Amino acid sequence: MRTSAGARTASTVIGEEFADLLTAAQSGSEAAFSRLWRNANPALLRYLRVIAPGAEEDIAAETWVHVVRGLASFRGGEQAWRAWLFTTARRRAIDLARHRSRRPEAALDDLTAAQLPSSADSAETAIENLSTAAAIGLLAGLPPMQAEVILLRVVAGLDTESVARLLRKSPGAVRVAAHRGLRRLAQITADTGVTL
Amino acid sequence: MPNIPQPQRQDEPVVTDADLVALLAGTADVAPGLRPVADVLAALVAEPTDMELAGEERALARFRRQAGAPVPTRRARRNANGLSSRFGVKVGASVTAVAVVLGGGAAAAFADVLPAPIQRLAHEAIGAPIPHTRHTLPSGSRSAAHSRSGMHSRSSTHGKPAARGGPGTGRQGRPHPTPSPTGHGNPQGQGKHGNPQGKGKGQEGQGSGQGQGNGQGQGQGQGKGRGHGTGQAQGSGKGQGNGQGNGQRQQGNPHKKGLLGRPQFNWRLAGHPRWFVRIRLVMDL
Repeated sequence: MRTSAGARTASTVIGEEFADLLTAAQSGSEAAFSRLWRNANPALLRYLRVIAPGAEEDIAAETWVHVVRGLASFRGGEQAWRAWLFTTARRRAIDLARHRSRRPEAALDDLTAAQLPSSADSAETAIENLSTAAAIGLLAGLPPMQAEVILLRVVAGLDTESVARLLRKSPGAVRVAAHRGLRRLAQITADTGVTL
Repeated sequence: MPNIPQPQRQDEPVVTDADLVALLAGTADVAPGLRPVADVLAALVAEPTDMELAGEERALARFRRQAGAPVPTRRARRNANGLSSRFGVKVGASVTAVAVVLGGGAAAAFADVLPAPIQRLAHEAIGAPIPHTRHTLPSGSRSAAHSRSGMHSRSSTHGKPAARGGPGTGRQGRPHPTPSPTGHGNPQGQGKHGNPQGKGKGQEGQGSGQGQGNGQGQGQGQGKGRGHGTGQAQGSGKGQGNGQGNGQRQQGNPHKKGLLGRPQFNWRLAGHPRWFVRIRLVMDL
């Protein structure tokens, strides 16, 4: 299945509805929080799959714990919300990497199929998963900075300034990294003839 | 150098800045050569899979618990944990500082090294010794005031006539570098007559003693008057006091020149308390 590029924005950003959702979630509305979670968690997992492969589920869960704790005091728009989420996730990933470097552990056994969450395995979903997984794999082949910038710009939906603040880089450096990453991605797809 | 033409790679996509912006923005109108990249980016934001939404229940359960619990404010957390460490440190430091100041002040008061007014206050407040002052009156002035022990009668034992004066201004106008050879000291000063030879050093403090002694001693007062008090001693002693209040203090010149030719004020000769003289000496160094 091919996903058109034009459909991307709709799934990334909530839009005008965000303020009401946030207020409702801060008031304790589970439905509002569920909507926020469903909107952000997939992007969070895809981002973490590149910067912390193998630990994305744990880090995402920790991120949401932190977010739930601080939700009542959060102030800001959707950009700030997403920046908060991804900044928290990134810090957790960095902490985990440091922890692992200090105390190396044996890799956990792969989860069995029974432990995996059940899903409606339709052919379409399988192909979709494959496409997303392949895209993440392509991104993971880029230099880390370029891959992270593209993920934050595209998947997280952050603007250049927010990405620069998150990565503690200048906006110019972020733009350069994004352009280089996309050029390299174009080169890779042209060389390999990858089609998703 | 031969100009070798570089073969143009036909499959290399030409990516312009506009194309990159369009790619990042997710617009559909990208160059045909960038279509694979656009597809990759689109796949990155494809609809979420069930696996990616599997943790929703767990997140909601945590949200439910958090929503049901009262939101701890900073104040509440602080109260729950008792005094915060920073506040405790501040209180401890303040208490320590106050204790040090009070203890030091009390020790200084009982050591009788405080300035006279403060020493007097300490005397009244916590029973510290009364101010230790020294004044010397010329023997002719017949001064009899407080001794160090504060006894008026002590003057009579030196054979000094009683002194009776008005309000003294012994320490006023300080520094007063010029001892007055005829200074009466301070009739109300709390001077120290010292030994029977009467080497009194007066003009310190503002006493209010009005001694009226009829001493009949045989003291030889050699008051080294430095005072400029305005009191008037009215002695009526019958003693044989050899009052020699001839201002011997003038032997020392408080304005003598220093090594570098600078006027070096001799604070010791100016009739200041010992602590003050020490401080000034250190400052002069």
